[in-house]
Amino acid sequence: MSDRSDQVVQLPLPGFETAKRQWRSEFDGQMKDKPNPKNRSGVEVKPVYTSDDWDPSSYMDDLGFPGQLPMTRGIYPSMHRGRTWTQRQLIGLGTPEDFNERLKTLIASGASAGSLIPCNSVYRGYDGDEVDPLLLGTCGAVVNTVDDMEICFRDIPIGDFSTALNDPSPFTLLALLLAVAKRRQVPWNRISGTSNQSDYISHFVCNHMFFRLALPGARRVLTDHIVFAQKHLPGWNPLSVVGQHMQQGGATPAEAMGLTLSTAIQYANDCAARGLDPDDFLAKFTFFFDISISFFEEIAKFRAGRRIWQRIVRERFGAQNPKAWRFKFHAQTSGVDLTREQPLNNIARVTAQAIAGIFGGLQSLHTDAYDEVLSVPTEHAARIAISTQEILKREAHLTDVIDPLGGSYYVETLTNEMEEKILSVIEQIDEAGGMYAAVESGLVQKIVGDSALAFQDRVDQGEETIVGVNRFQVSEEDELPRQPLRPPQADVIEAQLERLKRYKSDRDQAAASRAEDDLARAAESEDENVFEKIVDAACAGVTHGEICHRLRDVYGFGNPLIVP
Amino acid sequence: MTATGAEAASAGSSLVERVRAGELAAIARLLTELERLSPAAPKLIAEIAPFLGRAQVVGFTGPPGAGKSTLVNAYIGALRAAGKTVGVIAVDPSSPISGGALLGDRVRMNDHTDDDGVFIRSLASRGHVGGLTPAAVRMIDAFDAAGKDVVILETVGAGQSEIDVAQVADIRIVLNAPGLGDDIQAMKSGILDIADILVVNKADLAGADKTFSQLASAVALSSVKANTPVLKTVATKGEGIAELVAEVNAVAEGRSETAETRRRKRARRLLAWAAADLIEAQVRDRSDPRIDALCDNILNGRSSPEEAAKALFEAT
Amino acid sequence: MTLAQHDSFPPRVLVTKIGFDGHDRGSRIVASFLRDAGMEVIYTPPWQEISQVVRLALEEDVDVVGVSSLSTDHLLMPKLMKALDEAGLGHVKVVVGGIVPDEDEALLMDAGVSKVFHPGVGREEIVGGVAEYAAQARQLRSEELVT
Repeated sequence: MSDRSDQVVQLPLPGFETAKRQWRSEFDGQMKDKPNPKNRSGVEVKPVYTSDDWDPSSYMDDLGFPGQLPMTRGIYPSMHRGRTWTQRQLIGLGTPEDFNERLKTLIASGASAGSLIPCNSVYRGYDGDEVDPLLLGTCGAVVNTVDDMEICFRDIPIGDFSTALNDPSPFTLLALLLAVAKRRQVPWNRISGTSNQSDYISHFVCNHMFFRLALPGARRVLTDHIVFAQKHLPGWNPLSVVGQHMQQGGATPAEAMGLTLSTAIQYANDCAARGLDPDDFLAKFTFFFDISISFFEEIAKFRAGRRIWQRIVRERFGAQNPKAWRFKFHAQTSGVDLTREQPLNNIARVTAQAIAGIFGGLQSLHTDAYDEVLSVPTEHAARIAISTQEILKREAHLTDVIDPLGGSYYVETLTNEMEEKILSVIEQIDEAGGMYAAVESGLVQKIVGDSALAFQDRVDQGEETIVGVNRFQVSEEDELPRQPLRPPQADVIEAQLERLKRYKSDRDQAAASRAEDDLARAAESEDENVFEKIVDAACAGVTHGEICHRLRDVYGFGNPLIVP
Repeated sequence: MTATGAEAASAGSSLVERVRAGELAAIARLLTELERLSPAAPKLIAEIAPFLGRAQVVGFTGPPGAGKSTLVNAYIGALRAAGKTVGVIAVDPSSPISGGALLGDRVRMNDHTDDDGVFIRSLASRGHVGGLTPAAVRMIDAFDAAGKDVVILETVGAGQSEIDVAQVADIRIVLNAPGLGDDIQAMKSGILDIADILVVNKADLAGADKTFSQLASAVALSSVKANTPVLKTVATKGEGIAELVAEVNAVAEGRSETAETRRRKRARRLLAWAAADLIEAQVRDRSDPRIDALCDNILNGRSSPEEAAKALFEAT
Repeated sequence: MTLAQHDSFPPRVLVTKIGFDGHDRGSRIVASFLRDAGMEVIYTPPWQEISQVVRLALEEDVDVVGVSSLSTDHLLMPKLMKALDEAGLGHVKVVVGGIVPDEDEALLMDAGVSKVFHPGVGREEIVGGVAEYAAQARQLRSEELVT
């Protein structure tokens, strides 16, 4: 074939029309008037796709080559051939000691980077001594102070290790990590990783558990945090725009992509307004998506998203730097599709989702444990989730060919159709005055809420099959080898609280309160960098909860109330 | 069930005695019994009669999105600072299809959850015996009996039954906010006419001045008293609330009626509506030569409909 | 004016979330379909304090409290049950929806929770269950003396 690559394929091919007519009549004969199904985004799916739907002569416009515009086939020339993807598993349970131990185990079993998931009390902006101890450490690690963070990364060379912090605004975990680096005399320019929960807009709309500051405050601190990283942390990705929240909140895949790109446009506008150079800051933007089990739709969603993003950065922001054109994303298999019924079926679901993500060209992957819908994942289930990735990579050879579905009539048509849907969402948000305004007015919440209800209706009416739930139920559920992770014992939590108490009494109080006051003053000012003061405060011994409270005093506590 | 806590403490007391003592569970129960006009209601109504006639009833009405609940939240704060106790009836529309309702307003009045001086009850608009408004009037009495100084009635200014409810307040605040589409059109006809005070909430938003001048000129054109005050508030920041309180007090002081007179006025209003409905049905459907004669007069221009109606009413 | 068949009033249900978790897709969907089934739903955002839930249940005179839990917030349920009982709301039925590990379900039932609705339970089952518990709560309630 290679010697004919310059020849234009002549369409239609001889005999094509006759064969098509014959197929159509045979197909209709068998299928009667059964209507075409629609995917979750509302795209009607035909029984077969041909060059009528996607004309291969538009190859160079639609696809190009990997690492080249329009980026459809992937953002790097070698894609998964060169470097597969980062295996990121979310971990975090109990005390900093528990986290440290688990992190070391995961590194030993092949994880190449770590994610820190803090306790839900941390997400809400509280220290351990402010909440009901019953819930402490039941969902993630209790990290309130520099000492806690020091223990989390004991024996781990933080200068050579990539860390994803689940760290919503005001980014206290990053501040604590930088304080640890300072203590260990590791220069900040060697700290690498991502602020995984920096997207306050998606939190405000969909994932309220991370929401700590009212919208204007969240906007200010995020921009300051990006500015700070731009200046001091070359290895850090300060922004991850989280489409996962939108989709888990109920948005269709196309809506989730559209809303996420609109959110990124908002953040880019905010950065540009602060005088940052799009060539610099856009090269650091990363994304985080949900991979639902709607297989081809997800693949098309990612391919279309890549193609749209490079156009946005070039056309709207004039980015010249090819690094800024790259749509880098982490993806997580969707927990929404997992079922409590016959939970081992979830391994098959996660596998299908992961394949869609890999074919979609992801840079980083988290595979859910099959028991995630039952409780916080067990060690056993977490290991299967990691093995799934290895099997797909090494046994199924999914990474041998770049964008292996590229050129498929179906996938290319669907990519185009998803692109249209996504663009119409972006247009709707543009018309509403941009994402920030659309969120303030409640438009986005309505879009997401309506789609969530519509999907539930489809499930309830049996239009969407969920095996074991609305079809193929069994009377006897699988007996699982379950050794659930239990919340930490009361005495462990007591010790943690005791350590916090000691930390608060042993620190240099004068320095800590000075740093807190500096922080409050910066927050009220127009021109100081608030995040810089957060880092200073963490270094001066101020705790996570204290930082959050001081900022809430100034900006107010975001209460993203949505009444359905 | 086992008698525990609050109930054990009040064992032996009657429900109304417990209401008078300020027991929250008892107030809740009284509200329910009166709202639903339960079999126990007539006795309860008789028992609370001696305690009525103190509360001032303030109504807040406006289109969805105007920030009613947030304004009420701030207004409650001001009343509490002045030492007044408050009962709130938050009316939410029921679905015309299912009859169900989502009562979400009160979560915007979150500041007062831990304050025993504030009691908030949501009221769905459908399914009440004799209509929504009589139910709301009975619930006002329940709060009055519980010794609340002020009863706030919050309702969406859309739909006749909601407008009717708004009318039974002693002092009626009608609010709007910029950005709700055609600002004045968003307020259903009839709503402006009942206002004692007009408020432009969210006054920090662009377009607030336009809304303000629209309201001001609407006052000039409508049957509202020409001196009806128009205020600006930003409920989320507490701005303009002190002025609103002062204006409400000014309106109240300008009237000499006692609380008991106000109660009677509420009953009269209910009676007037019921009578109007009755008369309408009778006049429309009854076969009566006198009515036929009056109709002829209207048709051949000998009398206006108003004159004919007056003649009919005097004859009955 | 005649006296109403007062117990024909629709069930009143408080749909809420306690603890730290903020995933409210489930509670919003359930609130919507309970409303669509003709119930009066009092809805709150996540993160309610136990004292707030009790106060809401009390003031709104609800028949059923539905708590959505996705992480480990269900561990607070025994405290909520105790607080409801102490406030004289022993007749109110409480259901939990969301992710509750089997091992914890007994803990909740022992504390007096009427039912745990696990993921995948259909709308009809939830609506039917809530309606039935509301009827039970009304029954208990009417046995209380109103004098």
